[in-house]
Amino acid sequence: MSNRILSLLSVMAIASSAAAEVAYEFVPNFIQPPAGKETIGDGHGEIAVDSAGNIYVSVQDKDPALAGLQVYGKDGKFIKTLPLPASLHGFVIRKYGDGEHIYAAVLGEQKVIKANLDGSIVMEIPTSAFPAEQRDYVSVSKSDETDPKKKIAIASGVRIADSKEELTLKLADGSEKKIKKEKGVAAAGGLKLTNCDVAPNGDIYVVDGYGRSFIFVFSSEGKFKQVFGGPDKPLALANAHKIFIDRRFEPARVMICDRGHKRMLHTQLDGTFIGEIATEMRNPSSASFHGNLMCVAEIAGNVSVWDKDNKRVADLGTSPQMTNTPGIAPKDWQQGIVTSPHGITFDNDGNILETEWNKWGRVLRWNVKK
Amino acid sequence: MRIARSILILAAGGAVLAPLCALAHGAEFLSTKLTLLPDAEVLLEITADYGGNPLIADESTAREALSDPVRLKRHETLVPLAELAAVNITQHDNWAEFAPASYLPSDTEAQPHALITAAWRWRSETPEIVFEMPKGKLHDVLLWTRDQTNLDVSPKWMLLLAGDRSKAIPVHWTPWWQRWQTLMVSSVLILTLCYYVSQNFTLRHRTL
Repeated sequence: MSNRILSLLSVMAIASSAAAEVAYEFVPNFIQPPAGKETIGDGHGEIAVDSAGNIYVSVQDKDPALAGLQVYGKDGKFIKTLPLPASLHGFVIRKYGDGEHIYAAVLGEQKVIKANLDGSIVMEIPTSAFPAEQRDYVSVSKSDETDPKKKIAIASGVRIADSKEELTLKLADGSEKKIKKEKGVAAAGGLKLTNCDVAPNGDIYVVDGYGRSFIFVFSSEGKFKQVFGGPDKPLALANAHKIFIDRRFEPARVMICDRGHKRMLHTQLDGTFIGEIATEMRNPSSASFHGNLMCVAEIAGNVSVWDKDNKRVADLGTSPQMTNTPGIAPKDWQQGIVTSPHGITFDNDGNILETEWNKWGRVLRWNVKK
Repeated sequence: MRIARSILILAAGGAVLAPLCALAHGAEFLSTKLTLLPDAEVLLEITADYGGNPLIADESTAREALSDPVRLKRHETLVPLAELAAVNITQHDNWAEFAPASYLPSDTEAQPHALITAAWRWRSETPEIVFEMPKGKLHDVLLWTRDQTNLDVSPKWMLLLAGDRSKAIPVHWTPWWQRWQTLMVSSVLILTLCYYVSQNFTLRHRTL
C-alpha cells in the first residue's frame, strides 16, 4: 500500500515538474524600438536569436531607418539595422560549415540569401536556380472588353515559350496551348518564397508558401537537388507558410506549417510523409525548437508550445477572438495578448519571442519559469 | 516594385494588368460583409480575392470558394445561402468597400486585387441570425457587420475558422403585433384620406 502511495506521489511529482518545465510568464514592453520611434515598424517577417543571444527581427517598413533586419540585444535594446532586403519574410540563424549565418527567403525578390551576422551576403540562390516546372507556372487570363475588371481565365500551365506575339503553356495533361498576346491578356504566377531552413548536412530547404506550396531542396552551395510538396497528394499543401528542420528527431525531419489546412505535419528530409502533428489549429505560421519543445505562432491569435510527442503543453497570449490582420493599432494592444503572430523563436535559454503581422510592428516575450 | 519583381506580366502593349500575385496574406480570408437592413432584411456580400490570397489561385477557384462559403444556422440545420436567395455575382477591385478598415493590407504590401463578390439578400424569419462554418472548409470567413440604420456605429467583425459559429446577430426585426399595428394604422389613414378626397371631390362637383 505504501509503495502504491509512493508511486503515486512520484508520478505526481514528475507530472508537476513536467508542467513546471513548460510554464511561462509574460514580459511586458520588452522590445525597445529605435530612438525616436514608438514602434519597431511594419512587421510581416520573422524573429530569430543568434548564439550570442542577440535578437533579429525583420521589418518591411517604408521608413529606411526601420526597414531591414533589426538587431536587439538580450535586454531588448535596439542595436542596429542590417542593410538586408526589407522583405525577409522568413529567416533562420544557423551554424553550419564556416560559421553562423542568416539564411533568408526574400519574398519581394524570390530568392534565398545567406548572410553573415553583419549583414554581408555570402551566397544567393537566385530565382533562375529553381526548377522551371514550378518557377514558370502561370495562370493566363483576359480582361473582358466591355468590363476590364472582369477577368476570364484562359489556362494555367508551365510557360515553355514566350515570344512577342504569343505565349506557349504546357498544360497538366502534357498538351501545349498557344495563347495570343492580344490586348487584355495577362499572366500571373511565379514563386513566392516565404521561408527556408538548413538540414544537418547543410542542405537548404525553401518553401513557396504564398505560391503553390512546393518545397525545394538545394545543396549547401545552392545547387538544386529536389522538390516535393505542392498542392497535390500525397502532402496536398495549401499556403505552407513556413517550414523548419526539426532536429529534435534523429534523423531530422521537415516540419511544415500547412496554414491553409490549419495543421502542422512532419516529413522525412526527402519529403516522405510521416504524420500530422496537429490539426484544427489557429493557422500555424511559424515555429522554433528548444530541447524537446516546439513553440508555434498561430496567426489567428495564439502561441502554442508542443512537446516531442506532439502534445500541446502550453498556450500563451491567446486572443479571445480569432484574428488575422495587420491592422490592430497600438492603442488597441493588450499586454500579453497576441494579435496576429507571424514569426517566433526560442532564445538560448528557452524563453519565447514572437513577432506579429502588424503595420506598426510588435514583439512579445514570455520567459520560461524555472 | 517588390510586387513587380515577383510577377510575370505577359500583357501586350496597353493590356490591363491581370490578377497579380500577392506578397502577403492581406486577403487570406473571404470577407463577408453583413448589412442589416430595415424590416429584417439581410444583405450578405462575400468577397474573394484571387489576386491577393495564396489559397485562391484563380477566378474559378474564387467562384468555387464562394459557392458555399458559410451557412445560416436555423435550429439544428445549416442552410446553404443558395437556399435563402439567388446569388448576384460581380467582379471589381474595390477592396476598401468590402472589408473593414483594420483588415486592409499594409500599404507596404500594396497589391492589386482581383475581387469577386457574391451577394445574397433575404428576409430573416427569426429576430437573430447565426452563421456557421462547416468543418473542413479551407477558407476562413471574416464576418463583419454594418448597421445600415446607424452608420455611425463602427463595424464589428469576427473571424470564423472551419467549425466556428458566429455570435447571434440581431436583425431589425419587427414583431408581428407591430406589423399588424402598422398595417391597421396605415389602413385607417388611407381610408380616412380616401373618404376626405371623395367628399371634397363630390363637393366640388356640386359647386361646379
